[in-house]
Amino acid sequence: MADPEILLKLEGIAKNFGEKQALARVDLEIRRGEVHVICGENGAGKSTLMNILAGIHAPDAGTITLDGRIVAIPDPVAASRLGIGMVHQHFALVPSMTVAENLFLGRQLLRFGIFCDRGAMIARTRELIEQYNFRLDPEAAVRTLSVGQRQRVEILKALAFDASILILDEPTAVLTPPEVDELIEVIDGLRRRGRTILFITHKLREVKAVSDRVTIIRQGRSIATHRTSDVSEADMARDMVGRDVFLAGRKRGVARHFGEPVLRLSGVVMNNAAGKRLLDDICFEVLAGEVLGIAGVDGNGQTELSEAIAGLMPIQAGTISLDGRDVTAVGVGDRQQAGLGFIPEDRLDRGLSTVMSVAENVAATNYRRSGLLKGGFVSQERLQRFAGARIAEFDVRGAKPETPAGWLSGGNMQKLVIAREMERDPRLLLVCQPTRGLDIGAAEFVHSRILAAADRGRAVLLVSSELSEIFALSDRIGVMYSGRLMRILDRAEASEENVGQLMNGGGQEAA
Amino acid sequence: MMQVRTRRLVQALGGPLAAIVLTLALGFVLVAAITDQPIEAYRELLFANFDSLGNFALFLNRATPLTLIALGVIFSFRAGIFNVGGEGQLYAGAISATVVGVYLSGLTPFLLLPLSILAGVIAGGILGWIPGVLKVRLAVDEVVTTLMLNIITLLATSYLANGVIRDRSSYGAVSRMVPQSIWLPSIPWVPQATSGFIVAVLLAVATWVVLFRTEWGAELRAAGTNLRFAQAVGVPAARRIIASMWIAGGLAGLAGALYVLGIGHRFEQNFSPAYGLVGLTCALLARIHPIGALATALFYAMMLNGAAYMQIETDVPRSLVNLLTGLLVLFMTARLRAAPREA
Repeated sequence: MADPEILLKLEGIAKNFGEKQALARVDLEIRRGEVHVICGENGAGKSTLMNILAGIHAPDAGTITLDGRIVAIPDPVAASRLGIGMVHQHFALVPSMTVAENLFLGRQLLRFGIFCDRGAMIARTRELIEQYNFRLDPEAAVRTLSVGQRQRVEILKALAFDASILILDEPTAVLTPPEVDELIEVIDGLRRRGRTILFITHKLREVKAVSDRVTIIRQGRSIATHRTSDVSEADMARDMVGRDVFLAGRKRGVARHFGEPVLRLSGVVMNNAAGKRLLDDICFEVLAGEVLGIAGVDGNGQTELSEAIAGLMPIQAGTISLDGRDVTAVGVGDRQQAGLGFIPEDRLDRGLSTVMSVAENVAATNYRRSGLLKGGFVSQERLQRFAGARIAEFDVRGAKPETPAGWLSGGNMQKLVIAREMERDPRLLLVCQPTRGLDIGAAEFVHSRILAAADRGRAVLLVSSELSEIFALSDRIGVMYSGRLMRILDRAEASEENVGQLMNGGGQEAA
Repeated sequence: MMQVRTRRLVQALGGPLAAIVLTLALGFVLVAAITDQPIEAYRELLFANFDSLGNFALFLNRATPLTLIALGVIFSFRAGIFNVGGEGQLYAGAISATVVGVYLSGLTPFLLLPLSILAGVIAGGILGWIPGVLKVRLAVDEVVTTLMLNIITLLATSYLANGVIRDRSSYGAVSRMVPQSIWLPSIPWVPQATSGFIVAVLLAVATWVVLFRTEWGAELRAAGTNLRFAQAVGVPAARRIIASMWIAGGLAGLAGALYVLGIGHRFEQNFSPAYGLVGLTCALLARIHPIGALATALFYAMMLNGAAYMQIETDVPRSLVNLLTGLLVLFMTARLRAAPREA
């Protein structure tokens, strides 16, 4: 009766957390030896589904059939006994221990029943590494490894105990582009050796690169399963979002008109405590109505540039002026008064307080301007109304004014930050990595907001390491390399080639 | 809306109440094991406080400094500062209030009373301000500085009480009494109970309003929960942190001043049975919520005084209460997390 090709079958899986429905109905069939991608937007229920398979959550309804038998997975140990190995987004490794020690942590090979058998563990680890061609040193301490290498240790950990199904939860979220390529190679190798892999992601490019089949999940339901080769990225995007997606962008060749300069930097220099130059003689202007994109590989001074403009890091030389007013020596709050809106690159770091409520986060810079005070006290009624309106306007899902901001998914947190900063309709919008970690629907929304601000005559400075984003939104493109602003190109003269070259520090002579 | 509020209230109170019930139940097993009159012992522990108006007054007197110190701790913790200096700030407040009261006793009471209280608040505030500034400007760990200041203050006040301001006509290391004209009146209908307790209740409400219903309080909590976020939204975080420590010290100093003016009427060496530490525990058990801290301070006061009655009436030693409070802390902190985390 059971199809021997099907290794794992989920039928009608549902899960609620309190009143919140995480999974409504998921059906899924995984064939033996395939790489199957589960694809969906943030908050669609991907992680919940995987946690059910890994024994972390119990489903409220539905059956799991493994190898033709209906199974229950009450806890992670049971999952591992059934041959389900999970690699989480955040690794569970001991940094001070070696690769081999981490691999056998909690299930060490013993000699005479009491001493741990280091030799055997190292040999077994080396065997595994060679078998899968992972290029790791079994005796290296994990803290010396790169993120990509650590991930391979996690994968090995699952494989070492004969996982027949390997679940990778958003494995590329923590990796750099070259590491992603390596991971895709690793997965190819595992497939050739007959392993079955479940791969979770919301990035469509990866789906195409890695998988045999793909199942799309939307709002807790499995929408469709396709052979990857039969389906286009646009189709997958539509399935994920539930409607046609138009990635926002400027039409080429339409002349646009700009106003007066809103932000002007001249000769800005920043050194760190050790005297190293972080920003070197930065000069540029952003005009009203214009989007200036700052491209560059992460860590070339973009963070320092944005912190300098926001007033969070002091500069040693040069001037910054906003709307014609010199704000070089002025604090963050006064810069905001002068017309600055700042969307920081990391919403968890500078964007939000995760333990404070959604309402308090979205009100943080707006108490006075939006009239939330009454007789010196915060009016709860006005605060609720204000927060409710922002939640509706920016479609922050899963948010009520009183929920802690930390309960939201990444994309919705980002919408919260944007809602707060856009509320004042600032003259200058400083936007850093606005769609990092966001899914398509949310990214589309954020982009349309940024363009709308520019159309209203606001100046936008967009700092992003995502080139496609820079190209889609910018009117002019500046490239940073090693603390210097290499060049500013008009959108028309910029191409992936010349910008890419500048990002690597080259191409000055081509100017 | 209302339903959500009620449910949240039940959720907020359910845990602590369960912990208290569990503690008392386990404690009863212990008491039953060491005495043949366990019911009597428990009755003394829990209800002797309410046997007479006199006992009730002592109970309120005990709760007053605990509440005030807990409120101070709440201010500093909400700003992200782990202030364990309540004891030192309490002593500084008590001795300053005493010195002003004793040495300026010629002044009219209308001037002397506020002056004496103010002296206590300022002395405690300065003791809070020092670690605050050190923390903000030089990143000195506040746990170390507040703890050290406790010891310095305790020893310095001991020195003063033993020599400089000692009342040589009385036994023990105590100062002269402050003039009776500035003794705090007692609460109407409860003789012997200091009206300082009313001040503590009012300040608990005021603390809640300031922290949760003003922009200033929101900024302070922003600095306490995510300093870098607070900076990014333009909160002068350093100023808020220092201010919170001023207030924290000031409230503990006020506790000292009110103790002297309302209860002790003079400075006594080592007058505090670790009010600083117990106040800190009260604040933590209340999850640094001012109204909750009022409740936990009352509970602690009941246990501390009840233990004494229990020891007098039965053969159960009062140190049982240390065990019970230890259990309580355990149950409060080891409470299960009901809400599953979702990625």
